[in-house]
Amino acid sequence: MLNAIVIDDEQYAREELIELLHETKQIRVIQQAENAIEGLQLINKLKPDIIFLDIQMPQITGIKMLSMLNPDNMPKVVFSTAYDQYALQAFEENAFDYLLKPIDPARLQKTVDRLVKSTTPQNYTAIEHKQLAQVPCTGHNRILIIATEDIEFAYSGLSGVYINTGQQETTSQLTLKVLEEKTPLIRCHRQYLVNLKAIKEIQLLDNSLAEIVTTSGKTLPVSRRYLKLLKQSFGIV
Amino acid sequence: MDLIPSLLQQMCVYLVFAYLLSKTPIFMPLLNISSRWEHKLSCYLLFSIFCIMGSYFGLQYQDAIANTRAIGAVMGGLFGGPIVGLAVGMTGGIHRYFMGGFTDLACAISTSIEGLIGGFFHVYLLRKNKINDLFKPHVIFLITLIAELTQMAILLAVAKPYDQSLALVSQIALPMITANTIGAVLFMSIIEDRKSIFEKYSTAFSQRALRIADRSVGILNQGLDTESAKTIANILYEETNVGAIAITDRHNILAFVGIGERHHKANVPISNYTQQAINENRIVDLNSTTIYRCPIDEKCRLGSALILPLRNGNNEVVGTIKLYELHRKLLSNINISMAKGIAQLLSSQILLGHYQQQQTLLTQAELKLLHAQVNPHFLFNALTTISAVTRREPDKARALIQHLSQFFRSNLKQNIESVTLREELSHVNAYLTIEQARLTDRLTVNIDIDPDLMDIRLPSFTLQPLIENAIKHGISTMLGAGKLEIYSKKTAKGTLIFVTDNAGTYVTTKEDSKGLGLKIVDKRLINHFNNSSSLQISSIANKLTQISFLLPISTITINNKEH
Repeated sequence: MLNAIVIDDEQYAREELIELLHETKQIRVIQQAENAIEGLQLINKLKPDIIFLDIQMPQITGIKMLSMLNPDNMPKVVFSTAYDQYALQAFEENAFDYLLKPIDPARLQKTVDRLVKSTTPQNYTAIEHKQLAQVPCTGHNRILIIATEDIEFAYSGLSGVYINTGQQETTSQLTLKVLEEKTPLIRCHRQYLVNLKAIKEIQLLDNSLAEIVTTSGKTLPVSRRYLKLLKQSFGIV
Repeated sequence: MDLIPSLLQQMCVYLVFAYLLSKTPIFMPLLNISSRWEHKLSCYLLFSIFCIMGSYFGLQYQDAIANTRAIGAVMGGLFGGPIVGLAVGMTGGIHRYFMGGFTDLACAISTSIEGLIGGFFHVYLLRKNKINDLFKPHVIFLITLIAELTQMAILLAVAKPYDQSLALVSQIALPMITANTIGAVLFMSIIEDRKSIFEKYSTAFSQRALRIADRSVGILNQGLDTESAKTIANILYEETNVGAIAITDRHNILAFVGIGERHHKANVPISNYTQQAINENRIVDLNSTTIYRCPIDEKCRLGSALILPLRNGNNEVVGTIKLYELHRKLLSNINISMAKGIAQLLSSQILLGHYQQQQTLLTQAELKLLHAQVNPHFLFNALTTISAVTRREPDKARALIQHLSQFFRSNLKQNIESVTLREELSHVNAYLTIEQARLTDRLTVNIDIDPDLMDIRLPSFTLQPLIENAIKHGISTMLGAGKLEIYSKKTAKGTLIFVTDNAGTYVTTKEDSKGLGLKIVDKRLINHFNNSSSLQISSIANKLTQISFLLPISTITINNKEH
């Protein structure tokens, strides 16, 4: 049986879909989320086979959330929408599976059959956002949406990816790889990404190593491998 | 003493001449006292002629001339003022001087003085603001009497030898005073008649024109059709007394009233004459040079016609007015010039009607847009919610369907311009019930409106777009709990209605950042109430958006009186 997560901001819509999926007896809904940020957390934690993803959601739409997922363990995605001409057009063009709300059980059955059969992973780059303007983060009992230009640096630590703006540090569900690809942050170390605009100083050390001092005075390590690239970004060879 | 009848006889010839002249435009400047120099000049010329004529029509008597010269000089002064009076008097006087005789110099001086006397009375009456007294017979009588007495005195003083002049004066004084005073009074009455005829005529004319304008106001607002054309044709027929009136559009006769009604039917194609007026966009005159021949019936009694194009705002001909008259009668100039005015009046009414129609179309289109904006998202979301609710709470689902029906039913009343606040709130309530079901605990609604306001009328779809806006662009984009408040607040100027949400997503960067929906609401509020009712929007990012509008105190008090 396939494991699925339902992500939709409307309680009744989630309940309805979960009920219908339950009736198919082929898909087990292991969790549900009422917004994209919760969704990201659950996907990273539970690694479901399938997500049922609503397009219209507060702050971060379904499409944006998709752009934040790590391509390496991307689940299969079934989009759902009540009315969104542009999204529907994109799904049709790329042959992505989608459901129209209110959901027709017969149509859902077809989708489920297809999901069960197919083994090839889908590539969603056609509709993904190439750049992320914001990064959702979770702090103490709150959700923060941080603009990418406000980030000084990001790094992966013991309990995930940390985002530092100079004033505050929070954790994010996005991987460093996604952040490197979809934001202007560049890599300076295996575990660190830095915003070029936040670099105040690069101190060169022995052994071709270096340290970055950011505008807020934090020190970041620069590894041998990335020092050259870093210098190139500033036009110093 | 036989001088009196002879002189009166001479004066009669003189007056006949004056009467004939009064029929010409030369007399026009005399009908109103005017200070324009060209009127003064024509005044001078006219009365100089009369002055000189007075000398010629005079009777030779004892080497002198008993005459009616004084009339010209005095009247010239009275109408033209002292300078014109003096000029007329001197012209007449110099002319008299060259006719010779022992009184030549005395006559020249006295005529000039008489002109001046007339002029001084002109100034006197003008200063006293009694210039219309000029036309009164007894005033003229007195002034001419004074002038004539002065002349006699001058004759006695200047003409030599004194014995001879005394003898002359004793003979001619009575005849001349009588003839000149009576003559002046009669002369004035000719002018007076002319004046009153002219005034009566123009009063009647303007009254008729005004009556037509008054009666035809608003008839063409809906455009030119059979019904409006018939009403207009009837008005014109009654007011102008021409033979017949027709009104056409670009293709057909829309209405025909008057002589020949039997064969000039409405709703038949227009004649070639009319086609010509339409094609060339000009007045076709079948009145003076060319004559009108009825294209339908050769026995038709109508023999002259005038076709005037009716134009819309773009100067395109939309139809014509046609005036007809019988064979033996020509259309009078008065009717022709009035018809031109009427054509212009009706043209501007068509323009106004066109403009108003466009305005209504525009508001209707805008309203439809407002309704259309609501539909797809809301409908499909609502159906999704209902579909899910049906499974667990069939009763609630049924209630939601009722609300949805109610919402769409009131949405379909598209042409209703205004509704009571009660109706608007019930529309809003239907909408909010569904949105609350959809958003569950993410939306809390608090409505607190003064019950006294419920019967106030406001433009339909005023609150609903504001609330929809607050949910669609505000609360539904929040991750946390949304709160919507709708409440009223009394102020000195009236009662403010507030719609507040805690999303604070409204962006107030630009003046034109009000969405299309809000712009329409704003415009309709201002139209319905006044400028003070425009939408006021304030926003604190991520905290609050507040939209309000004023129900002006005048509407509230009027409303309370009615109930």
